[in-house]
Amino acid sequence: MSIMEYNGGSVIAMVGKECVAIASDLRLGNQALGISSNFQKIFPVTDRIYLGLPGLATDVTTLQELFRFRVNMYTIKEEREIQPETFAHLVSSTLYERRFGPYFIEPVIAGLSQTPSGGFKPFIAATDLIGCLNFAKDFVVAGTASSKLFGVAEGLWEPDLEPEDLFETISQTLMNAVDRDAYSGWGCVVHVITKDKIITRTLKGRMD
Amino acid sequence: MANAGGGAYSFSLTTFSPSGKLVQIEHALAAVSQGTTSLGIKASNGIVIATEKKSSSILIDDSMVDKVAVVCPNIGIVYSGMGPDFRVLIARARKSAQAYWKIYGEYPPTRVLTQELATIMQKATQSGGVRPYGVSLLVAGWDITRGPSLYQVDPSGSFWAWKASAIGKNMVNAKTFLEKRYNDDISLEDAIHTALLTLKEGFEGQMTEKTIEIGVVTVPTIEELEQGKIGGETGRPTPTFRKLTEEEVRDYLAL
Amino acid sequence: MPAMLSTQPHGLPHPHMQTEQGPQQRQFNPYTENGGTILAIAGKDFSVIAGDTRQSEGYSIQTRYAPKVFRLTDRAVLAVNGFAADGNMFVKKVRQRLEWYRHAHAKDMPLRAIARLIQTMLYARRFFPYYVYNILGGIEEDGSGAVYSFDPVGSYEREACRAAGAAQSLVQPFLDNQIYFKNQTPAPGTSHPTHLPLPTVLKLVIDSFTGATERHIEVGDGLEIYVVLAKGASTQALEGIRGIQETTVTNDGERVFIIQRELKKD
Repeated sequence: MSIMEYNGGSVIAMVGKECVAIASDLRLGNQALGISSNFQKIFPVTDRIYLGLPGLATDVTTLQELFRFRVNMYTIKEEREIQPETFAHLVSSTLYERRFGPYFIEPVIAGLSQTPSGGFKPFIAATDLIGCLNFAKDFVVAGTASSKLFGVAEGLWEPDLEPEDLFETISQTLMNAVDRDAYSGWGCVVHVITKDKIITRTLKGRMD
Repeated sequence: MANAGGGAYSFSLTTFSPSGKLVQIEHALAAVSQGTTSLGIKASNGIVIATEKKSSSILIDDSMVDKVAVVCPNIGIVYSGMGPDFRVLIARARKSAQAYWKIYGEYPPTRVLTQELATIMQKATQSGGVRPYGVSLLVAGWDITRGPSLYQVDPSGSFWAWKASAIGKNMVNAKTFLEKRYNDDISLEDAIHTALLTLKEGFEGQMTEKTIEIGVVTVPTIEELEQGKIGGETGRPTPTFRKLTEEEVRDYLAL
Repeated sequence: MPAMLSTQPHGLPHPHMQTEQGPQQRQFNPYTENGGTILAIAGKDFSVIAGDTRQSEGYSIQTRYAPKVFRLTDRAVLAVNGFAADGNMFVKKVRQRLEWYRHAHAKDMPLRAIARLIQTMLYARRFFPYYVYNILGGIEEDGSGAVYSFDPVGSYEREACRAAGAAQSLVQPFLDNQIYFKNQTPAPGTSHPTHLPLPTVLKLVIDSFTGATERHIEVGDGLEIYVVLAKGASTQALEGIRGIQETTVTNDGERVFIIQRELKKD
């Protein structure tokens, strides 16, 4: 029995043209038994950063609270909003603090970072459960359906997708990947982050 | 009871005098104003901090004396007051900057580091068995959110941001001089010359590259920033604070 | 792994040492997993069967060219993935049975019969199985394209598409989406096609393997795509394809083509 597969669940993030998307399934399970079909694994960090926490459900809640605390402290102390790159490092160092008794979570970060000239640059990253960072230029995946997500994303993703096309690509990737994973599924949620709005949609999926 | 100087209240650091003063802090400030003059000027495109370093003996190898210290690639500090206390504070500042880097993957903004130092200095005014630090600091740095900034920290732990300031023996005269000379769109080059002129005012003896130390903050261009060389995801960030070499100081003095 | 012997190799045994030996266990594992991936897609009047050519053991690449896809007859192609030694022996035995069939009946065995034969042969080894996943592709007697997939002990079904092997988990959900149009809703008044045209299928096969090569260490080096065309089917889609070769033996029947492509070697 692997702790990483105890509750199931998957998250994916993709880069588009001046936008990023992050999506997850909604299943919470107890091994093979389904418990909830509305278990959120993605949380807003700032107006332009979202954090996905697939893995052990109890650690999802704990880490969500921990990052909320640390980001609030940062915002107050530094009188500025945290940037995605900085947040990714915070996630990494927070997980590495527990190097020898880790949280069983593989976080996925998606956001838009402010450029020195005032524009916005898409940013995605993922780490393993002890915080090893992976800055990808295309997409990152995590969770029990990760190998399936890699396969579909590798086939469907292309550079410079507009927000609506990115939404379609990430949705199709996630839905078809989780349909082949017994531990993921039971509906999906997708967030597309653009410079002036966030599109959040809940998708119906197979309930088996 | 002791009555040397501060009377009964001068013993215990944590005791206020009836007039509401912590006299040990006042003594620390007195130590600062006996120290050599240091100053800082914020220019439109950077910051200069400068100090005089005088040796009590010609036998001292003054190339080993460092009064302007680099804390991290974007921040430098100069002091007036007690050298050993400064050394301890610099060690703490550098540790703090590296600890910040370990968490966030970038060096702290000037204000955050200044606040950290101020907290350390404040603790020395409230803890048992210690004395306040006998130094005032001028912290100069650059960061993406606030750009170039210049802070002064005092032994009490209070800190302010300045456009230009001076600390140490000649601070009153130097500040008056700076008030006359300062304007908001002074360039870094002009600011360096103003700094030297200000130091010259109260300087005893010869001003040479051996008796002057200068540190400068330069503001990176948008292009340099877009290239991600400052605080990039990997590799070392290109420094925005640096100390001028003896050759550079000599060139400025010659002008 | 052989266990160390508990007696001293040289000199006299220690006076206090017990000379009796405790029970020892040795094991021989007759199976290896040789990586790679295979894939087959059935069309209306054609079938495409593909496989990469890398053969590995653990992190070592044994060869960059070890075919996993084999022409059995002019209407049947078999892809074999798993333990390469078992796979090669299995193909050899299937071919032998097909030849006996030809001698007895003076014709090639029909595809559905080959499928049943493969089941029988696999199940015959129910308690010492061929450690292989088989995918059989070709043309049925009614002229339709077909794919049969098997597990190592002979369970099988006819499908429109199937991926197997190391990158099955990467490729199969992609195929679900692109071949079966899973999770896609057709525009009002329209429906999804039941069979895709050959050029589309070839594109999907190449995309599947380049994707799998990108993300899976056991997939890569070379790609062999077999195309089986039904009797009288148009060869138009195959014209102008780089490196295509016909391997048909008989005349006036189904035709078999092979397309060879390079895949990344890292």
